[in-house]
Amino acid sequence: MSGHFDDELTRPLEGASEASSAEGSTSPEVGRDEWVARHGERVTHRSGLLGTLEARFRTVPWWAWLTLLVAAACLVPAVTDSGYVRRVAFDTVVFMLLALGLNIVVGWGGLLDLGYVAFFGIGAYAYAMLASDQFDLHLPSIVAIPLVALIGFVAGWLVGLPSRRLTGDYLAIVTLFFFQIFLTFTNNGDDVFGHSLTNGPNGILNVDELSFFGWSLPTTTSQGQFAIAYLYVAVVLFAIVYVALRLLDDSRTGRAWRSLREDPLAAELMGMPVNWLKLLAFASGASVAALTGTLQASLVGSVFPQDFAFPLLITVYTMVILGGAGSQAGVVIGAILISVLLEVLRDPGDSRGLFYVLVLLGLVGIFRLSRQLAVVLGATVVLGFVARAVAGAIDDRWTAGVPGGGGRLAGWASDWVIVPTQLAGWIPPVTYIGLIALLLSLTLLNGWVRIAVLVPTLYLAAFVWENVMLAKPEPTRYVVLGAILVAVMIVRPNGLLGERRVEIV
Amino acid sequence: MDTFIQLTLNGLTLGSIYALIALGYTLVYGILKLLNFAHGDVVTVGAFIGFGMLQLLGGSTDPAVPIWLLLLLITATAMAGCAALGVAIERFAYRPLRDAPRIAPLISALGVSFFLAYSLQLLFGSEQRDYDAFSMAGGALFFKGFSIGAVHIPLLRIVVICAAFALMVVLWFLVNKTRTGKAMKATSFDREAAAMMGIDVDRVIVFAFVLGSALAGAAGVLSALRVPTYPSAGFVVGLKGFTAAVIGGIGSVPGAMAGGLILGFAEAYTQGYVSTKWSDLAVFVILILFMLFRPQGLFGRPDITKV
Amino acid sequence: MNKRGGLVIALVALVAATLASTAGAGSSAAERLTAVNCSGTIKLPLLTPLTGGGGPIGNEQLSWAKYAAKTLGPKLKLKVQIVGGDTPVEKGPGEAQKVAQKFISDSQVAAVLGPATSGGVASASKSLAKAGLLHISPSATDSSLAAGPKAKRTASPVAFFRVVGGDYVQGPTDANYMVSKLKAKKVAIVDFQEPYSVGLANAAQAVLKGKGVDVTRLSTSVDTTDYSSLVTKVPNDANVVFFPTQQPEDAQTFGQQLLEQGKRATMFGADGTNNPAAFKLPGSYVSNFAPDISGIKGNKARIAGWQKDNPKASLGSFGPPTYLATQVEMMAIAKACKAGGGSIKNRASVLKYVRGIVVPNSILGGTFRFSKSNNEPVNPKFYIFQIQKNGSYKLVN
Repeated sequence: MSGHFDDELTRPLEGASEASSAEGSTSPEVGRDEWVARHGERVTHRSGLLGTLEARFRTVPWWAWLTLLVAAACLVPAVTDSGYVRRVAFDTVVFMLLALGLNIVVGWGGLLDLGYVAFFGIGAYAYAMLASDQFDLHLPSIVAIPLVALIGFVAGWLVGLPSRRLTGDYLAIVTLFFFQIFLTFTNNGDDVFGHSLTNGPNGILNVDELSFFGWSLPTTTSQGQFAIAYLYVAVVLFAIVYVALRLLDDSRTGRAWRSLREDPLAAELMGMPVNWLKLLAFASGASVAALTGTLQASLVGSVFPQDFAFPLLITVYTMVILGGAGSQAGVVIGAILISVLLEVLRDPGDSRGLFYVLVLLGLVGIFRLSRQLAVVLGATVVLGFVARAVAGAIDDRWTAGVPGGGGRLAGWASDWVIVPTQLAGWIPPVTYIGLIALLLSLTLLNGWVRIAVLVPTLYLAAFVWENVMLAKPEPTRYVVLGAILVAVMIVRPNGLLGERRVEIV
Repeated sequence: MDTFIQLTLNGLTLGSIYALIALGYTLVYGILKLLNFAHGDVVTVGAFIGFGMLQLLGGSTDPAVPIWLLLLLITATAMAGCAALGVAIERFAYRPLRDAPRIAPLISALGVSFFLAYSLQLLFGSEQRDYDAFSMAGGALFFKGFSIGAVHIPLLRIVVICAAFALMVVLWFLVNKTRTGKAMKATSFDREAAAMMGIDVDRVIVFAFVLGSALAGAAGVLSALRVPTYPSAGFVVGLKGFTAAVIGGIGSVPGAMAGGLILGFAEAYTQGYVSTKWSDLAVFVILILFMLFRPQGLFGRPDITKV
Repeated sequence: MNKRGGLVIALVALVAATLASTAGAGSSAAERLTAVNCSGTIKLPLLTPLTGGGGPIGNEQLSWAKYAAKTLGPKLKLKVQIVGGDTPVEKGPGEAQKVAQKFISDSQVAAVLGPATSGGVASASKSLAKAGLLHISPSATDSSLAAGPKAKRTASPVAFFRVVGGDYVQGPTDANYMVSKLKAKKVAIVDFQEPYSVGLANAAQAVLKGKGVDVTRLSTSVDTTDYSSLVTKVPNDANVVFFPTQQPEDAQTFGQQLLEQGKRATMFGADGTNNPAAFKLPGSYVSNFAPDISGIKGNKARIAGWQKDNPKASLGSFGPPTYLATQVEMMAIAKACKAGGGSIKNRASVLKYVRGIVVPNSILGGTFRFSKSNNEPVNPKFYIFQIQKNGSYKLVN
């Protein structure tokens, strides 16, 4: 928390509560009831390795985070010369920017904006219209980019207007409708009173590449590879946005947003311009999203309505929620984690590795290095060999299948998991639903019963992963994202690095 | 005139299904003040359960049982399956968040919605599933029926509309005449006071989810009898159902029924008389205006924030 | 870790990054792609939606590409591996460009199959062309990709080819048949607000209007499944409903709802609805880029062989063109290998030979070769089928 409040501001209060600041390392914070804050601390502070790690993370100043991230991004070209990996790095930065923008609305403003991706789309379309043959406008980027950010801001302001009257779920649904309207409009925009604005489903093609001072940045190298310059442009944009938002968060407005989120009613009573604050949060988020849209449109060189679909919205939401709404470093980490996760799930070999590593880590996290862990692991391994031997004895075809994808683990997995040559139609639904039922029931059990149920659950999970999910990366990704959203909300609603939420008691 | 009658019929068919879905939203919202984003996907799951049952019973052209029993069985299975699903969703995704800030269960609901839609796609692929009611009983469902003027009203539509209204009557009875129904009303009025009066709030909430999800299952089957279904269909369906609930006044049971019908008619008439191309846009804009200027809907009471 | 610790981290990272990025700028190994060795495994990636909404079509294409690689490889003395590059429709056409990067930097890739969708071609073609990669699409039919003057084409006029004709061929073929054979005076056209559908609908509408036919244009979003109000809008005296979509089930439903409301109009689908398993309304028409596939000389064995590899799949209309595209690419690669003496020096040499490739007895019938003036087959033709009482398709034009 040290980055959030200036020393100047906290100083006058320190004297007032000398006794409490002496006993603990945390100093009291402005605007917080101390007992409540301590309560939050007790609830969220965790012991053990993870807790220490988290406490350490929180004390790293924000500019160190930023430098580290920028450095990591700049390291990418040295690590790999694959255009694909570089492109993935670019996409990750785009996601980081999107998460930063959404964090303003959800994390700071506390407003559920389900139309967020539409602003990304508006930015991309605005850039495409300002810099392509569509209207024969070819504005230089130095003009187009700020203009698009402004357009995004205005659009956000307009869409945010309903937020003056609506709260929570009503606002969510209005913004979701706005998203649908955006899609309908771009899809049908090829004939608006006889004029083609958006070219409809065929999209706007041949969008200009970025150009600065008459110097244009080609999107690909002469060999067709992703041009690394775009990664650098994205990183620079990211750094600018990050610093700007940081300053905003430390300003009066930032503090006002926080109080607005914690208790809008109290904030209003204290004389805060609640409506104005909400609109500002909405518009700033939209502006960041639109800015990001220019990056996307200029690199890809085309925009289509289908580029801005609902799954993208959920992806960005998962990033913000997992990282911790309200914390800039958190949402950026969330964006990196999810972006890497989605890439890893693309390839069956990698996705298998990830699965077993995560399961192992999860077990170690739950049981620590205890006897129970050994029992669970041992029993699962034995169960696997027994089950496979039994299945093989009944019918050869039950174990003759080849697990999908390559990877070092594939051979090992095929000796342990049952992989039939042909899956009967009923197997995927039955095992999948069974697995979910077992997983859910685990949350209700404890003691040795839980361990007894855990062992077959683990084996069933391995079976389902190898046979059902590996082969279909696309639905698997989104199933995983959905599960992360629910699990994070229940287990740790403040995400990895989110602010301690102060409950009003 | 014929066009008008035909469009009205279209609107009535659509609207009765929207109303069933809207009821699920309204029941849950009334008690938990939670917008259950996953409800639309429960509808799709219902359609898929019905499809599975139809295959088990021998398919549409050559079913093992008479046609009326076939329809009854697939609807009943879908309703039972969805009710179980609804209970599980409530128990594991919403109950732990009951006292959290309101944004938390909303995000959890988004996650559940996504999880359900893509689980269906994972297990069954993204192909469209067609009940093929056209071939049931040699096409009787399509070609039998009666006529108003030049407009033919086929048996299938009569079945769909009547079933939907019958279910709504049953629901009305359950909510207004049974003890649990009355407990539900009391809980929706003031949860804490109801708990103090000795009402088991948990049970009431589960009951609301059972009713809402069972209706969703029925809605899934009834709509899939007429048009093919696919895993991600729940998104749009849920959006429409929720809108219907809002128009009628969320939390109000008769409101949801009225809202569903109004939405169905609005859609049919805009497509028929205004434009098919921009009809979605027109519907969405009207709804946003509705939410802005009369957020409590037609039958709802204004939401007064208690401090 | 206090502020000083953070400062140290930041400084170290900054220095490391500066060093790394200068080093990275210097090493451009990616620019120097090694020659493709013809005796090793050559990769042909297929860019198509393998999961998500377009999954069924993409997997059909993948199965045929794999079958082609397996059966044609030995004759051409090539070891070809088909790699799937998933571009789900849910992620938008831009995804194709990203996935293409994966294959551009893979030195075993000698040519690319697809992208399958017109949007995918529009977004990826430029990068692929710069990398000198031939890409032949089996299904992207948007007219602007390959038709018209070179400068106006939205795909690379050098490296992009397609084995089926564009919408400007299919739309008019269908429209002409409606007017000349079905004597249509009033036609309703339904589009689904997606590129394939809108492109084809526009192409047909232009011809119909030119011939003085009364056209009612209806348009709805892909999410719609209940068409009853659209059906109500089809004029009672309309002769034909032209229904270009990629979902044959939708055509079936629309046809049923026409019957339900007592409308006599004939359903007329396009190649996207050409699927006897799903669209089987007797008396309806569909068009396709090939005459009856199973009736063509030599195809019996091909289809039987493919069905042996894919026992559960049914024969659709997206697979065979993929087989042809794979075949053309493999033949061009074989020629480039021969010319290069056992290796392909650079990818562009494959491009040099593709125009000269002639496929006798092609899977789509007759002899296949690319036209000199554009990157499409010579005289692309579309054929029209009528659905019979028993659900089978009969060639009528």
